[in-house]
Amino acid sequence: MWSRRRALGLLVSRDLKVRYAGSWLGWVWTVLEPLLMAGAYWVVFTQIFSRSAGEEPYIVFLLAALLPWTWFNGGLSEAARALRTDGKLIRSTNVPRELWVLRVVLAKGVEFLFSLPVLALFAVVTGADVNWRIVLVLPATLLLATLLTGIGFLLAPLVVLVRDLERIVRIVLRLAFYASPVVYAVRDVPQAWEWLFTLNPLVGIFELFRAGFFPELLDPSRVALSVGVSVAMLVLGWAVFARLERTVLKEL
Amino acid sequence: MTGPLLTGTGACRLDAAGRTVEAPGIMAPNVAASPIISVRDVGVLYNRGSRHRSLRDAVYRRSGGVRTDSFWAVDGVSFDVYPGEAIGVVGRNGQGKSTLLKLIAGVLLPDVGEVEVRGGVAPLIEITGGFVGDLTVRENIALTAGLHGMPKSVIAERFDEIVAFAETGAFLDAPYKHLSSGMKARVAFAVVSRLEEEVILVDEVLAVGDKRFRRKCYRRLEQLLEEGRTLFLVSHSERNLRRFCSRGLYMRNGALVLDGPLDDVLAAYAREDDDE
Repeated sequence: MWSRRRALGLLVSRDLKVRYAGSWLGWVWTVLEPLLMAGAYWVVFTQIFSRSAGEEPYIVFLLAALLPWTWFNGGLSEAARALRTDGKLIRSTNVPRELWVLRVVLAKGVEFLFSLPVLALFAVVTGADVNWRIVLVLPATLLLATLLTGIGFLLAPLVVLVRDLERIVRIVLRLAFYASPVVYAVRDVPQAWEWLFTLNPLVGIFELFRAGFFPELLDPSRVALSVGVSVAMLVLGWAVFARLERTVLKEL
Repeated sequence: MTGPLLTGTGACRLDAAGRTVEAPGIMAPNVAASPIISVRDVGVLYNRGSRHRSLRDAVYRRSGGVRTDSFWAVDGVSFDVYPGEAIGVVGRNGQGKSTLLKLIAGVLLPDVGEVEVRGGVAPLIEITGGFVGDLTVRENIALTAGLHGMPKSVIAERFDEIVAFAETGAFLDAPYKHLSSGMKARVAFAVVSRLEEEVILVDEVLAVGDKRFRRKCYRRLEQLLEEGRTLFLVSHSERNLRRFCSRGLYMRNGALVLDGPLDDVLAAYAREDDDE
């Protein structure tokens, strides 16, 4: 697949070009959406409710997980449809089929990187404390890409064969937002609910993203679990993809 | 019409004959180099039933026994193709011709058997499929050529040639979706037929465009054949088959019933019609 990396580059840039062709604000949209959501949560949880969860400054705490969540959310809903929406192209060009999933993960990943300056901006404005653990953003990004690719490989062929799955993915993603520590931290969770987070790989990933500002939230055992689950997802996804590829090509 | 017809077939045969000399070690007279395409006992199984069944079958892939509502779109097909051959595939609709081409293009995988292609493939199959409506013609040309593996420098070099062939110079920076369907097909043919690949697959695409452009496409195909490319042509037009091809494959119910000189294959195919 490495030999076809140019095809991958082409597809990623095509994705980005298509997204911004004919739109006035261009990649401002990339930043605007998570920013508006962060603004909404900020109003709800600091102005309306008296907040007992999360850390100060709350907007930095929010964005540090909300930006990667936006990548995960957008990447997964698009990766799941990757083989279905590009059916025509897949039927006419012989590139490794894995590229169609990878390109979604990468294109959304590029948008995520473009949105990081917003986090930096708010960190400066609010005077948040930054420590050396900010470099953990790099492994966190890699980890999230691994997880996303794995789940994408798993879902993309299944969605072609079982159309209903697309809706299920959307619903599960919406629930997963509240089941993942984005607007709160895991240590705010009552003990009775902690089991919900033991297998969620996003917990450790978000803690890595936040570690530069909130090192006290970082729990190595949860990070280790994230690594394990992400790698396992990639292996499982790849195996399922390889198994279903033949069948999927006929159904496109 | 007899003039170009004769030269077309003549060119193919000359090519094959020209290469026999280069391979002294091989006994068979027509076997020049090693085959560029080998198809071995290939079968493709389709389900007639619901799509959910295909998932179940993929998960519990059973070794023996075929479900009653599934059928072999391609069934036990074997043949070799040598460099420079021009092959016409004939048969009625739904007999496995296009499936066969997709197998060679690598956009479909066989359920049994093996397809080996030793060389690049330029598939003129569903050619407009790879184009994106929202991007400009210019971007689309670069994208499609790149996806098919054409290096960036070559794309830059050939760009003007491709545009001139497609006759869409005035629309270069217009979104692809604004082109008429004829123009879309022209751009697509111009790009894919410029690929430097050894094998060219053509599936009825020549039916698109106006007469003048069709003639241009035929000339381009002839030119490619003269350069020694290997051609696979699926067509219902006897005239085109005779013009380009020397060898024929006759598909019926997914099986390859005859593989031989084009004239014999066309005669056998004509008998199928007479039988009914």
